[in-house]
Amino acid sequence: MKEYAGIDCGSATCKGVLMNEYGILGQYIRPTGWSPQTSAREIFEELIGKAGLQSGDVKVTATGYGRVSIPFADQKVTEITCHAQGAQYILPGVRTVIDIGGQDSKVISVQNGKVLDFRMNDKCAAGTGRFLEMSAHRMGLDMEEFAQCLKAGKSCSLSSMCAVFADSEIVSLLAAGKSREEVAGGVVRSVAVKAAVLADKIGVESPVLLTGGLSEMEGLKTILSEILGCEVKSDPLCRYAGAVGAALTGMQGRKQVRDNERI
Amino acid sequence: MIKVKTELPEVFDSFADARQQGFLAMKELKDSGKGVVGQFCTYTPQEIFMAADLVTVGLCSTSDETIKEAEKVLPANLCPLIKSSYGFAITDKCPYMYFSDLIVGETTCDGKKKMYELLGETKNVHILELPHKQDTPEAKALWRAEIVRLKERVEKDFDIEITDEKLREAIHKRNMERRLLKEFYELSTMTPPPMTGQRQLQVLFGSQFKFNWEDKVAEIQHAIDSVRTAYENGERTVSEDAPRILVTGCPMGGVTEKVVKVIEDAGAVVVAYENCTGAKQMDRQCKEDGDPITNIADHYIQIGCSVMTPNPNRMELLDRLCQQFSVDGVVEMTLQACHTYAVEAYSIRRHLHEKGIPYLQLETDYGTADIGQLATRAGAFVEML
Repeated sequence: MKEYAGIDCGSATCKGVLMNEYGILGQYIRPTGWSPQTSAREIFEELIGKAGLQSGDVKVTATGYGRVSIPFADQKVTEITCHAQGAQYILPGVRTVIDIGGQDSKVISVQNGKVLDFRMNDKCAAGTGRFLEMSAHRMGLDMEEFAQCLKAGKSCSLSSMCAVFADSEIVSLLAAGKSREEVAGGVVRSVAVKAAVLADKIGVESPVLLTGGLSEMEGLKTILSEILGCEVKSDPLCRYAGAVGAALTGMQGRKQVRDNERI
Repeated sequence: MIKVKTELPEVFDSFADARQQGFLAMKELKDSGKGVVGQFCTYTPQEIFMAADLVTVGLCSTSDETIKEAEKVLPANLCPLIKSSYGFAITDKCPYMYFSDLIVGETTCDGKKKMYELLGETKNVHILELPHKQDTPEAKALWRAEIVRLKERVEKDFDIEITDEKLREAIHKRNMERRLLKEFYELSTMTPPPMTGQRQLQVLFGSQFKFNWEDKVAEIQHAIDSVRTAYENGERTVSEDAPRILVTGCPMGGVTEKVVKVIEDAGAVVVAYENCTGAKQMDRQCKEDGDPITNIADHYIQIGCSVMTPNPNRMELLDRLCQQFSVDGVVEMTLQACHTYAVEAYSIRRHLHEKGIPYLQLETDYGTADIGQLATRAGAFVEML
């Protein structure tokens, strides 16, 4: 097999990338919806269909929380390993990867694409992409509009670290006359602070790359850079970092079939 | 007889057998007129009860079944071990707890200490004041006095005399048990190890529920022989490439199974347990010559639990085990709201980092809701090794 598919099935979106040794042949994203299996299958078919390949020609590596429910995957690798690999591809020499995902956020210390250490958030929605989505929804904004609000560079302080309590706090802040720009800034700041706490636990080394669904949110990058005291980089491909890493893992033929093995 | 239901089906099935047999044995023992002492902690000097010819049971409380009941009294944000223990006591759902004529607890952590007060309202409870320093003469003297007080309480409650000779014999027997269990788990120093961590844990854990000493010792010996014979016959249950993991942290009874399964499903193998059910308890021998009470006190106070400050013995044991078992990574299990282990995790991480040994801390509770999250963390850790 010369082609490698990486499918990163997250809680919010499912990302797929098709690669060979020369680079990326195709990429595709869609909401995960209620069935990770269905969305992963659709993504895979979209990828190979466009490239004119048969499913048997492609080695599939699955990652993300939905990886366990992708029966056609040849191997399954955790998203930590994949984000590290993908980040190294996107930004060679990267040392710290911050991924703020739908249901968890993580900070990975990387060297030559290899994971040295990692930290994930507690089992809590605060500090996740879902929290941002929920807050945007509360303010009657879609994510695009929410990101626009951040351009004002305004902020206000949110005292609640819990997503549920923060939700009611947002309502109170809006009722008290705070602008959506201020509240949006406050919400993003609280997410950034959570990520920074994780990052500080393992030690931040530059270059720092923000991956995952929020990597293109300029406002988040700005606030993260400010809190961490160093530039946080990103790239349009960062949304696909997990999928790229999965495909690369497949390409390297690493012994990452461990999810399937039973000793 | 009530069968304890559990939310960890596969994991607990293996225990259920040993436990079920334990329940029956327990009733038989009670019917024959034997007294039973329930203990919670590795600091409890079992030799005292052995010398009094009493049966000792571990009140492990490994299931979250009774936590809801316990939370009617105890705060929700409390260690699940404490809540579960209390829950089993007030609901009479655990035959061990139910059959215990005396329950012995220690002032290990604040949560337990205060829970025992409440437990004392419905059960016959004796509290040992465990000092939190191991190296001062005052702490040692206090602990020795507490052992004497426990001996006297047992003598009074069961109307029995505990002689020095009986104590010496008990120390000797416990030492034999420790030596055998150590011999058993040290089989996993081999590469590849002759058994999975799940199998090792089964034997270590199960041995707590064998009430006849001769039978227990014979069964451990049998486990050693059968594992060794199979290995010598070329049987390999674990791949040679499987990263070798040492598990440390909170005492978690059956929950350890959940964590170990997640680690082993990710392709690694648990070779050693530093926890209470493992090396923490079996590693050292109690001195046999001289005053038995002093020997017992000196032995138990040196257990390297995070309630001690400072706690150098845990580091020392960890270092030794990492080397002896050629460990590739250490996984620490922390129970939610266990402050002493949670704080000490930082020192352990830093210490292992300096030694170049990868470390992962997993926080969990007695439920099964977090298995997916644990699997991702453990999986990534194993991939990293």
